[in-house]
Amino acid sequence: MVSRSEVLSLCRALLRAGRQYPDYNIREYTKRRTLDGFRMNKNLTDPSKVNEAFAEAKAQLVVAERVLKVYLAYPPKTKNIMEVKLQ
Amino acid sequence: MASKVISATIRRTLTNPHGAFSRCRHLSTAAAATAVNYEDESILMKGVRISGRPLYLDMQATTPIDPRVFDAMNDSTIHEYGNPHSRTHMYGWEAENAVEVARIQVAKLIEASPKEIIFMSGATEANNTAVKGVMHFYRDTKKHVITTQTEHKCVLDSCRHLQQEGFEVTYLPVKTDGLVDLEMLKEAIRPDTGLVSIMAVNNEIGVVQPMEEIGRICKEHNVPFHTDAAQAIGKIPVDVKKWNVALMSMSAHKIYGPKGVGALYVRRRPRIRLEPLMNGGGQERGLRSGTGATQQIVGFGAACELAMKEMEYDEKWIKGLQERLLNGIREKLDGVVVNGSMDSRYVGNLNLSFAYVEGESLLMGLKEVAVSSGSACTSASLEPSYVLRALGVDEDMAHTSIRFGIGRFTTKEEIDKAVELTVKQVEKLREMSPLYEMVKEGIDIKNIQWSQH
Repeated sequence: MVSRSEVLSLCRALLRAGRQYPDYNIREYTKRRTLDGFRMNKNLTDPSKVNEAFAEAKAQLVVAERVLKVYLAYPPKTKNIMEVKLQ
Repeated sequence: MASKVISATIRRTLTNPHGAFSRCRHLSTAAAATAVNYEDESILMKGVRISGRPLYLDMQATTPIDPRVFDAMNDSTIHEYGNPHSRTHMYGWEAENAVEVARIQVAKLIEASPKEIIFMSGATEANNTAVKGVMHFYRDTKKHVITTQTEHKCVLDSCRHLQQEGFEVTYLPVKTDGLVDLEMLKEAIRPDTGLVSIMAVNNEIGVVQPMEEIGRICKEHNVPFHTDAAQAIGKIPVDVKKWNVALMSMSAHKIYGPKGVGALYVRRRPRIRLEPLMNGGGQERGLRSGTGATQQIVGFGAACELAMKEMEYDEKWIKGLQERLLNGIREKLDGVVVNGSMDSRYVGNLNLSFAYVEGESLLMGLKEVAVSSGSACTSASLEPSYVLRALGVDEDMAHTSIRFGIGRFTTKEEIDKAVELTVKQVEKLREMSPLYEMVKEGIDIKNIQWSQH
């Protein structure tokens, strides 16, 4: 059974990876989906289910970090309007 | 050596780079009158200056590739490059394995068997194969096709092609809310009807047709039922057995997958036969010859699996955003009409018409929001969309219709910004409009006697 600190550090790692994406929509989506995903499974008590959810999240972290490297290698040439500040 | 590099750099910075993007810090005098000063670079494209990449609200046209789908495609693109139909070596076996895994993933999404999925180049090819293939196979006994007036252009064009070959086609009208009238469908079915083709979710107005009832009617009269479910899979629960469909077209790039791949579900029990459109080596059960686009197929499978997992979560999120958008616009504006039924609708599609506003000027002002319009006024002809005309919408309302497409990656801030921009533009246009002034004074526009000068 995974410990609370492990779960929290996994959540933090996922959020950290999501924050680095150059695309505005993917950034916001990873933040929302990670937090909602962890919140939905907050009250699981069955150890096998907890381990299953933890393994799934860990697999998602591997995917997120791997894809991040490719996305950073091809940054968009123009800024999204949501990121442009109006004077 | 260093001086060469320095002089080259200086030369590059002094001359203006040509091309689609021209980054300038100063606005021209013409644009300054209508634009706001931005501290950062702005984009000039097709004569329009915008401050940044527009926010994307056109999910019915296409969707961005989900990073998880992108990840799934890379193995296949980079090293598993074999032809899935090569039977003699490991490269072929690997690729075939990947395609079969994708087939299972697609089949699970629609509750079908993997043997019933044929991969194609998209929903257009699947629609063409279904409509033309079935009618050509049964051309001796069946001469009649039933479809609706709001179908996708590829289905309507295939039916027109069949008409030229001598078949008869009935284009069923729809009610004002976009749904098919089941009584009219029952009456239209004849003994020589070979196919009924009705799309599950309309791409322009977003209405969901009563699929189970239509399936039941087709089963009673023993007519094959084809549906274009490109906008439906992964978004609403699809069950081919409950819907009683014989053929279903699917597209990958509407569910956060890659472009260039789709599939056709061809029922095996009871069997529906069709003539293939692509002849060749007999791949894909003989119905679609040619090497499958392996990495696209793998991406399609991954997108379907993802859609199955995320369907409920996405629907809840998108429904909240749709309500936020509609309420936000309705709070500040009157004369906003939703095209199509509000009850039987996919939550991610919102097609609105704004009264007393001219369509082209509204679109020109909404350049910072990537939306689609109901009319074809962005193309050469100024005709309003045939879907809106089939709904019975007036010409002027059809011209001012805008289709907002909300998806998995849309954020609340984007919706708020879209509301703000739309309201601002509509108010500005209405202020300038003498028709709106007359309406506010209580004059009924339709009963005015316009005098000639």
